[in-house]
Amino acid sequence: MANTEFNSTQDYVASEELLSSVNVAIALKKPLLIKGEPGTGKTMLAQAVANSLGKKLIIWNIKSTTKAQDGLYMYDTIQRLYDGQFGEEGVDDIARYIKLGKLGEAFESDEQVVLLIDEIDKADLEFPNDLLWELDQMEFYIHETKRTVKAKHRPIVIITSNAEKELPDAFLRRCIFHYIDFPGAELMEEIIKTHYPDVEENLMKNAMQVFYDIRALRDVRKKPSTSELIDWINALQIGGISADTLRAKLPFVGVVVKKDEDLETVRQEIH
Amino acid sequence: MFSKFFYTLKDKGLEVSLGEWLDLQEALDKGLCESSLTQFYYVARMILVKSETEFDKFDMAFEECFKGVKMETEIGKNMLRWLDKSDMMELAHEEARNHLNQVEDIHVDKEDVEQTFKQRLKDQNEEHNGGSFWIGTMGKTSFGNTGGNVGGVRVGGQTGYQSAFSVVGARKYRDFRDDKVIDNRQFQMALKRLRQFSTKLDIPKSELDIDGTIDKTCNNGGYLQIEMMKPRKNAVKLLLLMDSGGTMIPYTRLMNDLFQSVNKSNHFKDVKVYYFHNCIYSKLYKTPECENGDWIDTEWLFRNVDSDYKVIIVGDAAMAPEELYSESGNYRGPNGGLSGFQWLHLVKRHYKKVVWMNPKMAPGRAPWREAETAVKEIFPMYKLTVKGLNEAMVKLMATK
Repeated sequence: MANTEFNSTQDYVASEELLSSVNVAIALKKPLLIKGEPGTGKTMLAQAVANSLGKKLIIWNIKSTTKAQDGLYMYDTIQRLYDGQFGEEGVDDIARYIKLGKLGEAFESDEQVVLLIDEIDKADLEFPNDLLWELDQMEFYIHETKRTVKAKHRPIVIITSNAEKELPDAFLRRCIFHYIDFPGAELMEEIIKTHYPDVEENLMKNAMQVFYDIRALRDVRKKPSTSELIDWINALQIGGISADTLRAKLPFVGVVVKKDEDLETVRQEIH
Repeated sequence: MFSKFFYTLKDKGLEVSLGEWLDLQEALDKGLCESSLTQFYYVARMILVKSETEFDKFDMAFEECFKGVKMETEIGKNMLRWLDKSDMMELAHEEARNHLNQVEDIHVDKEDVEQTFKQRLKDQNEEHNGGSFWIGTMGKTSFGNTGGNVGGVRVGGQTGYQSAFSVVGARKYRDFRDDKVIDNRQFQMALKRLRQFSTKLDIPKSELDIDGTIDKTCNNGGYLQIEMMKPRKNAVKLLLLMDSGGTMIPYTRLMNDLFQSVNKSNHFKDVKVYYFHNCIYSKLYKTPECENGDWIDTEWLFRNVDSDYKVIIVGDAAMAPEELYSESGNYRGPNGGLSGFQWLHLVKRHYKKVVWMNPKMAPGRAPWREAETAVKEIFPMYKLTVKGLNEAMVKLMATK
């Protein structure tokens, strides 16, 4: 019997609040909207939820050109045109040219799945509104074939947003909302240890110290994120850097700080 | 008690819908709050509040409604430091704890504990560990932490789960409030509201409708039948007029950010930017330095920049009364025989949609700032914050 409650997994450490928001969303059958700074593990959450509950994960990556329709189904008119030219059989059967999108796939699945709608704010402003009915009723209508696709099992929907755009109120009202705070030192330590269980204590402590100092600098334009710290610690381990020289020399600091101006500031301010 | 919470949230400016409120009731029914105030705080927040910019308002409403539940504890920094002895936790064995409680056999009366706690809090002025009277660690009074007493008041130390009021008290989401002055990225996002797809407009069908063409052709037995459609492009044109006068110097960075974001926003059909000094007169400058000669006629602008441009004027509207009303008030350049006030009226008459963004606007009517009040009479004025800019954009896009 699969779990019905989400817990921290071996490779994903979640705060109490995050755990309970996932569980509330599942219990109330509402989409969970996750916001937070880049690199706080929003996307990884869905993977962790799927693993923990033993369900399949379907990812719908949103781009600036994505339309709501793309997630439902596509009508492959080009293929139909080709077939039409050569008088192929079944050209008049439009259903043959309907391909379900990610949302449609999640609805048609024979078992409950976790559906991740990643970076919903990348799309057009109207995009979330176009999905209201589909996410509420868990069904949509294919005009070309006059067929209604209805979810066999209501998927667990997780939506991430980088807060690039404000999402429409009508959409927000239907979601459970969680804002991932930037992890504090204690949680950060736990996160690092799930990635590198054998990390040398001193190296990790010093690297974290420098990392939080960089984040605290007011002139830094792009604050480094958790994933960048993890990459940095990896680089430091591979490079065999000793913990003592870390602060003075700032080896591989380019992994953490990406902008030229920031690099200069960091070299001046961190001693 | 709960409906009071609902109305307090509304009072604080949170738009909680009835649907969300019912969702919260459902969550309570399903026992998702586990009869804990802290858990209730988080569950209520995740259902009712949909933006981190509003967490602060929620915190304040929550505090107001559930204050009765909270103890009146203004715990000093020092006290918390004395109490943070998490390393001693291991020493406080279960056995010792039982023993202590047996000896003392305290009947814990919550009221009483609270009373005494407040009293001790007032009197205590040094660190205590292991005693039986003061607030401290390892002791057997009802206060402090790592102690042997079970029914007492826990003060400071580490907890696994942040308690609701420590979060509320810290007001750590204050910086996210959206009535704060904004940064470049948020400016850009606000400007994105300015769009109007021209499919709605009355223009010729100039683009090939691929899907339509293919469909028609298929239905036509394979013989080509072209279908056209209207292009989907943003039709909004923007005219930005920025004050570059002396009183605007404190806001240079903000102005620069706004200018950058307008520049980076490539979704406009056209963008024009001009500068003025304190107030608009017969000349508009091409650069923020406002050099004599490097200008265009304001009337040329009226002739050449159509009335369907959306106009954003940015300035502090802190002109001296004579700069606004006198016909010779412009000490920097010509004014074409009209006062600044009259020029502003000409702008209003020519352009259909104008808003004024002010970085230091006084709330409501401000009789001591005569010019600002006068300008407010002419143009809708908004404070230059995320919220203000968003409201202004809505105003610019409104049909009437």
